[in-house]
Amino acid sequence: MKVKIRQWNGVASWLWVANDENCGICRMPFNGCCPDCKVPGDDCPLVWGQCSHCFHMHCILKWLNSQQVQQQCPMCRQEWKFKE
Amino acid sequence: MEDVVMESDSVEMSGPAPEQRVADAWEAVTAALMSPGCSVVDRSLSDSLALLCGQGLGRLLGGWLLETLQTRLSSSVVPEFWSGLKQPENELEERGRAWVLLSAFRTLLDRLEPFLGGLQKLGSWQDEGRGLSLCGPGPGGLQDRAFTIIRALLLFSPSPVLQERVLEFYSRTFSVYMHQEGQAEDGAELQDGPERGVCPGCGVPTQQCWCKEALEQLQDLSHILSRLQLLEWVSSEAVTSILHKLIEQRMEQHCRGEYERSFLLEFQEWLELVLGWLSKVFASEVDRDGPVPAPGAPGAPGAPGAPGAPGAPGAPGIQPGSSVLKQWRCHMHQFFCRIYVNMRIEELFSIIRDFPESKAAIEDLKFCLERTNQRQQLLTSLKSAFESRLLHPGVHTSDILTVYISAIKALRELDPSMVILQVACQPIRKYLRTREDTVRQIVAGLTGDAEGCTDLASELSRGDPVTLEMQDSDEEGNDPEDWSPDPTDAVPDKLGSKRRSSDIISLLVSIYGSKDIFIDEYRAVLADRLLHQLNYNTAREIRNVELLKLRFGESHMHYCEVMLKDMADSRRINSNIREEESRLSEEEQPPLSLSSIILSSEFWPPLKEEKLELPPLVCQAMEAYTHRYEKLKAMRTLSWKPHLGSVTLDLELEDRTLTNLTVSPIHAAIILHFQEKSSWTLEELSVKLGAPKELLHRKLALWQQHGVLREEGGGGGGGGGRYYVVETGSSKEKMDRGVMLIDSDEERDSNTTTQSEQREEKLQLFWAYIQAMLTNLDSMTLDRIHSMLRMFVATGPVVTEMDVNELEAFLQRKVREHQLMISGGVYRLPKAN
Repeated sequence: MKVKIRQWNGVASWLWVANDENCGICRMPFNGCCPDCKVPGDDCPLVWGQCSHCFHMHCILKWLNSQQVQQQCPMCRQEWKFKE
Repeated sequence: MEDVVMESDSVEMSGPAPEQRVADAWEAVTAALMSPGCSVVDRSLSDSLALLCGQGLGRLLGGWLLETLQTRLSSSVVPEFWSGLKQPENELEERGRAWVLLSAFRTLLDRLEPFLGGLQKLGSWQDEGRGLSLCGPGPGGLQDRAFTIIRALLLFSPSPVLQERVLEFYSRTFSVYMHQEGQAEDGAELQDGPERGVCPGCGVPTQQCWCKEALEQLQDLSHILSRLQLLEWVSSEAVTSILHKLIEQRMEQHCRGEYERSFLLEFQEWLELVLGWLSKVFASEVDRDGPVPAPGAPGAPGAPGAPGAPGAPGAPGIQPGSSVLKQWRCHMHQFFCRIYVNMRIEELFSIIRDFPESKAAIEDLKFCLERTNQRQQLLTSLKSAFESRLLHPGVHTSDILTVYISAIKALRELDPSMVILQVACQPIRKYLRTREDTVRQIVAGLTGDAEGCTDLASELSRGDPVTLEMQDSDEEGNDPEDWSPDPTDAVPDKLGSKRRSSDIISLLVSIYGSKDIFIDEYRAVLADRLLHQLNYNTAREIRNVELLKLRFGESHMHYCEVMLKDMADSRRINSNIREEESRLSEEEQPPLSLSSIILSSEFWPPLKEEKLELPPLVCQAMEAYTHRYEKLKAMRTLSWKPHLGSVTLDLELEDRTLTNLTVSPIHAAIILHFQEKSSWTLEELSVKLGAPKELLHRKLALWQQHGVLREEGGGGGGGGGRYYVVETGSSKEKMDRGVMLIDSDEERDSNTTTQSEQREEKLQLFWAYIQAMLTNLDSMTLDRIHSMLRMFVATGPVVTEMDVNELEAFLQRKVREHQLMISGGVYRLPKAN
């Protein structure tokens, strides 16, 4: 017997490669989106800091904008720098 | 009465000579009163009268007359009348009986004629001023009293014979009349009886037809009766019962079970025709001061009593009789409405079931219902009809929904205030709440998946701008001038006097009081549909979601939108990856053409988790796919759901090939293993695939059905059997397939978890919260826990409203499992040790 597969339609779900489940700022799942967004994924990306913490991009930007003096990671209080 | 006579006697006795004259005068006057032909102009009579008046005896005349009347009536006239009526016993035919009836009344009139004449004379004397108060108080007083006496004595103990005869007579004349008037129309239809040659009017062979006679007799009888002022008393009852019976009969014949035609006009015309007959019955009332019209003018059908002109023949203008007719017309109308409503109430369930076709019946009913006070009756009857015919386990949920939808449509036609709808359908709503598949059915209806139930889909696409949000809001944009109060039978509810919704979808959705449950269900249905689809074609789903957005509001349908977007994104990513693959060299081409639907897991309903190890070939392809995806989308990866999706494959066997089979991944995985090795035991397969044996056993059935595999040994005993590839299909094998079909009816798996499973998961989530609360606060009451949960957990799409009862049941279970303690209505956690 020979089986010839013409087409395999699989189902998968995407997820962020992150070390946590939820955003430390908005407490929403990374695989969802931040409270201001409607659509996850490309439209509501994650960003990583050099301290290795990551957040929804919109969340951390909002946080950084609200910080007058020094821009710190809300989790570890180190100076926030985007990881490149 | 007695003492008046005594008095007059004493006056007569009291004096010698002048008394004699008075007595003579009395004699003369009374004789004149009773004799028919005597004229008032008579000299001596007027002298005598003057003398009597002079003596103050004038007013005794009236009393005397009445007294004589009474004595005569009770001694001879009344017995004679009754015996005359009964005399022929049962020997006569109908025609004879009619004659006897008439002659009895004729005799009665003859006997009473002198008295009536006397009364008349007395009246006219008074009018001429010959006596001051001959007739006692009031102008018509004496006459009234005389007729009262006649009525009282005659009808004091009426024998049933009279009623029977009168009824019979009137029925006959009625059918004669209706026959003549309505010739072809319904006379024939109604009376066209068993044998030919029978006059449809009077029901005897045509040669002996006495139709005309009957009508003349009717005329006569009416005259006599009205002369004696007995018409009301003798005929009303008979006429009423005849009308009642006939209307009912006609209704039964014409309207029962016939909902697609309006009967109002038809009946209106018929009633006018009947009114023509009535005008004959009460003819002398009608024509009391006009000339008598030619009786029953034959050969001029429909002409005299033309509809719409009651009592038209004879005297136009205002007559006393027309008011009688008017009264009867109202009566008949009322009869008609009531009978009609009664009948339709009985049939309302069927009418509703047939609704769009039975619109005419509903409109008729609406018209009549407004005129009779029978709403309450309608409600009770309809409610019980629903309960006995619809709301029992034998009826499929979709049928209940269909009837409910027609009920909404029909009843909003019937009662624009929606009160009937609201009250009568309460049982349906209550019952639907207890059915598990209600939501699924409604959602299926909305998406147009349900067979036979297209109403909802079309209702949805009608796209009413009235969204559910709007209806919840307090302010109605309506003109305050248009406001009308609720009917009295409205149920006072929290909506108050606010307009009751007549929108089918919002009514259905509100069965459960919350739309979340519907949206969740829709999401599950949508997920199923999308996952079972192979071609990423979502046009129909997009349309549905857009329509639902109009109803439920954008925010509620957000998750569904993301799901649809995932589909579009998946297609793009797939073609991206394809393109990349096509640039590879020949030998690097992937061995398997793999495409994928990529989900945003947070936005899809929870999918069933099943363990399945796919063959290495497929795994490699998936890894490669994931790899490409990771390159495409930085910092993101894929998590495969191996058991979901679909596979199209060809099977090449020694003597045959099966092409283009579309199966689920587990089926494909199974058959791929058989490619390497032509026989497997269930045990081995289970280890290889990492799936439970029961599941595999079920899935193997598909291949057995196709005649690709066969099982030997074990005999389905579960596990012992060994499966072989059937390389050469024998005809015997094909025969077996039929048998296989029976036990392999594979349920069409839903990829989403069922509602109760989701519910359970949700409650587990709550349990974590409850434990935390109880750890911090030591002990809490049920209500407290409930309100805290609502406060903290009321976010996210999965949390539907949970009522206190459900929570209590959950907590009770935890108590039974010794994970919780309850004392005095307060919950606490058991001590750690």
